[in-house]
Amino acid sequence: MPAENKQGPLTETVYYVLLALHTPLHGYGVMQLVDEMSGGRVNLGAGTLYGALTTLVERGWIVPVAGAAGDRKKEYVITDLGRDVVAVELERLEELRRNGQRIAKGEPR
Amino acid sequence: MKVTTVRKLYWNFEKEERWLNEMAAKGQALLHYSWGTYRFEQSRPSEWIYRIELLPDVASKPASQEYLAFMSDTGAQAVATFQRWVYFRKLSVDGPFEVFSDLDSRIAHYKRVLTLFMSLFAALLPITIVNITNISRGHLALAFALPLLAILIGVEALLGTQSLRVTGKVRELEVRKRLFE
Repeated sequence: MPAENKQGPLTETVYYVLLALHTPLHGYGVMQLVDEMSGGRVNLGAGTLYGALTTLVERGWIVPVAGAAGDRKKEYVITDLGRDVVAVELERLEELRRNGQRIAKGEPR
Repeated sequence: MKVTTVRKLYWNFEKEERWLNEMAAKGQALLHYSWGTYRFEQSRPSEWIYRIELLPDVASKPASQEYLAFMSDTGAQAVATFQRWVYFRKLSVDGPFEVFSDLDSRIAHYKRVLTLFMSLFAALLPITIVNITNISRGHLALAFALPLLAILIGVEALLGTQSLRVTGKVRELEVRKRLFE
């Protein structure tokens, strides 16, 4: 996916939401998992999360899944397109980390 | 359950939010709001955290209802809605409560508030100007026209001041956004 290599940096919110949705979750589940993954550093605001979920569905990076009967809470899961986006971002993050280690921490490559 | 009613008018939703949280700290939890009238019920001190948000649509619209249901699933109850304003509360034992967690969504919210103030300001402007011209031409009974004009100018001044304040907030966050997310 050569075009995807030019994708801009993801926001922290989008990146963590996409990671969280590697398993189907509803909104509150995403908030809890992101809080846990980041060691309590990232507390997603529900309003911010709602906006992110809406945008990600429009982009086709996540999809709503049919929840269990009687559960009106909507669950979401990442799509293949979403996984590609995460893969590209991961490479970018690794590049940032590599260069940071080499220059700021003076480590050999 | 003891219910207290307070009549108060806020032009600054952040001051209003601070006041509601001060009341909550004293064990007065907001239950209902309408036209400058706040109703509180007694609660344990600091049981609730309050947040105020301006929605893109009036609260009764389906899109707003869907959003409020989502918020409620995360533990944020909409205790009161008034036109496009929502008063959320969440139990303080559940940890910190913010509706917005990044600069983009906070900027978007301030811009929504700014648009509201500016459109109200613009809507009142022609009425205010017509009033001034009529008074200056002696077309109106002054006993009636002057108090009305004073109210119009007062409201316009408040809307103008609030627009400037919110513009300042937007600028501040946009400068911050050049460095952070």
